[in-house]
Amino acid sequence: MAPNASVVKQAELLRNDGNHYFKKSRFGAAIDAYTEAITLCPNVPVYFTNRALCHLKRNDWERVEEDCRRAIQLDSNSVKAHYMLGLALLEKKELTKGIKELERALNLGRGANPKGYMVEEIWQVLAKAKYQEWERSSSQRSWELQSLKEACESALKEKHFLGVSEMEGFVDDATTSHLKHLEALETVFNKAAEDDTPSEVPDYLCCRITLDIFHDPVITPSGLTYERAVILEHLQKVGGFDPITREPLDSSQLVPNLAIKEAVEEYLEKHGWAYKID
Amino acid sequence: MAPNASVVKQAELLRNDGNHYFKKSRFGAAIDAYTEAHYMLGLALLEKKELTKGIKELERALNLGRGANPKGYMVEEIWQVLAKAKYQEWERSSSQRSWELQSLKEACESALKEKHFLGVSEMEGFVDDATTSHLKHLEALETVFNKAAEDDTPSEQVPDYLCCRITLDIFHDPVITPSGLTYERAVILEHLQKVGGFDPITREPLDSSQLVPNLAIKEAVEEYLEKHGWAYKID
Repeated sequence: MAPNASVVKQAELLRNDGNHYFKKSRFGAAIDAYTEAITLCPNVPVYFTNRALCHLKRNDWERVEEDCRRAIQLDSNSVKAHYMLGLALLEKKELTKGIKELERALNLGRGANPKGYMVEEIWQVLAKAKYQEWERSSSQRSWELQSLKEACESALKEKHFLGVSEMEGFVDDATTSHLKHLEALETVFNKAAEDDTPSEVPDYLCCRITLDIFHDPVITPSGLTYERAVILEHLQKVGGFDPITREPLDSSQLVPNLAIKEAVEEYLEKHGWAYKID
Repeated sequence: MAPNASVVKQAELLRNDGNHYFKKSRFGAAIDAYTEAHYMLGLALLEKKELTKGIKELERALNLGRGANPKGYMVEEIWQVLAKAKYQEWERSSSQRSWELQSLKEACESALKEKHFLGVSEMEGFVDDATTSHLKHLEALETVFNKAAEDDTPSEQVPDYLCCRITLDIFHDPVITPSGLTYERAVILEHLQKVGGFDPITREPLDSSQLVPNLAIKEAVEEYLEKHGWAYKID
């Protein structure tokens, strides 16, 4: 049963009160105001996300989670709800679940307003979480790989020494062959560890200005690709020209380089260490 | 196989033509002549089974040709020959690598098995644990060697973002449209000419002057081919 108009109006007034208290950092009072609004109109998602933000400011993560889940039930497309839920889950050390919520928030946010400040903020938090996730799984993988490598090396060495002691000649050849095997084994294990070994991100996946991997690559008529936020800033503050070719350039000419975006996503999936932000 | 002397001679003549045009400042004609000269030389070297040298000449021809006239028929022709040669080069070196990898893998497996059986015969208990651990080691070893062989193993597909959605082949000369989508240049030009002035996928209005070379994807394709020579194969 939908609340009547005067109840809705009252609830909105309470929400405004809550917003005022929030701006003055009076989070307890804000929470009370939002709570009253919810009592009057329990199906407005924004009341829950506003209250969740107050809980967040007070580091009351359990309540953040509660309110975000209620908000999501009412509006599954709420960027803020998914974002704050993600943060709460990270606080609980639920890395995988937290990442899932943050990714949802990022996708929803990008759909609505790709250049919004919030998208960049969500990306930063997500990148950090993804890096931690990679660190955790890669140290496990490294350890397993190292054990296996040592087992092989020691098995090969034993076999070699056993073989050599039974030989009467050709020891040098056998030794050379054995050393080559060990060398080749080193190469094989390095290759197996390659994806987990921080190296340089390929040039074509990085902005020439930021030198960082692309978040939101755009291409100019010159054929060169830049980080969107950076080229927009350049056009605004430095001048209306391509930073490298110096040809005339207007922000309306920027085209999202969707193929490179896809390339970046695949690269990060495979090389989690590249999420690290310096 | 005897070297094709007349082809080499032809290349020489073309080179002379090129010099001639160059002296007269007819640079377009000069480049065309040089391009063809390198192309002919490349073909001759391939005939002699000099794969590496032939590839070098063909690459030179391709770069010259693309610089002058990226949409020219000759560029496509040179690319086809070059791709085939590069594939052969990959085939040759990768079978060597595969063989070495396989030998090493077998040496490790047999060494691990011997060590395991020696160890088991000296144990009094815990044989099951040791065997499980041993089998896991062999499994993990399999994974490691597969990873080492990965670049050389033709996988199901070249990554989507490196392929044209229309040709389904890896890009030769990728161009991006205002929609943000990337196509093979020759194919989108043909589409605009024969089908209509719109983006094939978004159907937004599109003119050939709006096409921009996607240099980053071009670089990505080159690096991918360097690493995965099997992708040079043309079906």
